[in-house]
Amino acid sequence: MSAPALTAATQDYLTAVERELADLPADDRSALLEDLALHLDALSGEDDDRPIAVRLGAPAAYAADLRAAAGLPPRPEGPAPAAVGLRERLARLPVSPAVREVRRLLRELRPAWWVLRGYLVVLVACLLEPDDVRDFPVPAPLGNPALGMLLVLAAVVGSVLLGRRTLPRPLAALVVVGGVVLAATSFVLGEGAWSRLADTTAYPPPLPDVPSERYPLLSRYGPVTDVFPYAADGTALEGMLLYDQDGRPLKVGLQEWWDDGCRRVLDQPLAADGVPVQNSYPQAYELAGQGGSCTEALSRPEVPLPVFPAAESVAPDPGD
Amino acid sequence: MDASQLLKGVLDVAVLAVVRDADGYGYDVVRRLRAAGLEDVGDASVYGTLRRLYQAGALTSYVVPSDEGPHRKYYAINDRGRSVLEDSTKTWRTFADTVDGLLAGTAAAA
Repeated sequence: MSAPALTAATQDYLTAVERELADLPADDRSALLEDLALHLDALSGEDDDRPIAVRLGAPAAYAADLRAAAGLPPRPEGPAPAAVGLRERLARLPVSPAVREVRRLLRELRPAWWVLRGYLVVLVACLLEPDDVRDFPVPAPLGNPALGMLLVLAAVVGSVLLGRRTLPRPLAALVVVGGVVLAATSFVLGEGAWSRLADTTAYPPPLPDVPSERYPLLSRYGPVTDVFPYAADGTALEGMLLYDQDGRPLKVGLQEWWDDGCRRVLDQPLAADGVPVQNSYPQAYELAGQGGSCTEALSRPEVPLPVFPAAESVAPDPGD
Repeated sequence: MDASQLLKGVLDVAVLAVVRDADGYGYDVVRRLRAAGLEDVGDASVYGTLRRLYQAGALTSYVVPSDEGPHRKYYAINDRGRSVLEDSTKTWRTFADTVDGLLAGTAAAA
């Protein structure tokens, strides 16, 4: 049911009449106010600039006529009865235009909440179900997403019907409390589900696909973080200086994660002028801080060394 | 003489008569009553009367969605409403005749 879009002045008039009808049963009050809202909207379409209180009379007089014609008791005299609800008491407080706008916005957003509420009822129930089935975005009760869709549809329809009805006060309060609990539960469950999702997506860190300052050399397997040179006879070489095809020092990234969980920092050899030599391989690392089971020594990876023919030289013979 | 006092007594029958001709929503009923000559009829009185007749089971209501604005709540007369209108019509005629007679008598005596 679409509520008419009322101007601030007509909204004020409506609120004032609502205040005058505060003591009536909820269904009488809401029916009369709904009619009035539609009437105000219809009047706004007329070519008449007079203020609404002039056209319809003061809100109190309008409410009194309404009561008399509807056969309802006149408004009780004197101070507000003690049984008056919080909502009525709040309605009597002077409100700023901002508060009024927020209230209006909230009223307009109610149907959206009804739909969300229906979905959340099914979602929360499914998230609480101790199975490993994925329940988001489509809840899967008993592992069946199709059943989930049906239940969501039914729950949304039910929730909207419930929202459109005017309930007696205690029941309406129960619905509000239920809604708050539902929203809070969804929030907590949702946050848990989200952090689990984040856990699985955060590591390993995404691999870069273009060379950068941090990872200057990329292979098809990811960033190159070290180079291990060997002599042709299989001797592991240390402190080798490598250069590229243009004679530039060959730089690679650095290792940040180690299988043993220890933290290490790069320890490059220094030239005579004190500048670190960045293209000396293999790269040297030293332990950062903690001792314990961490050791300085790092073993080289296993490498598949080729076997060269024993008699012939690797390089072509210039005398041939 | 204050017509608004008289109006209160006959608003039920007037509203039922208007709705008997064609279903109407609140604003429309107010306008039709005014167009028929009951210019002093108050908006609130009409809405209150519609509500009471509806509560009494003399009217049914249904909602018609509107493209231009909010929906409209139409009121329609039902069998119970027609029988109320019939009874009220008889009462009104008798009453009006009586008052007419009184007034004629007064006029003749004057």
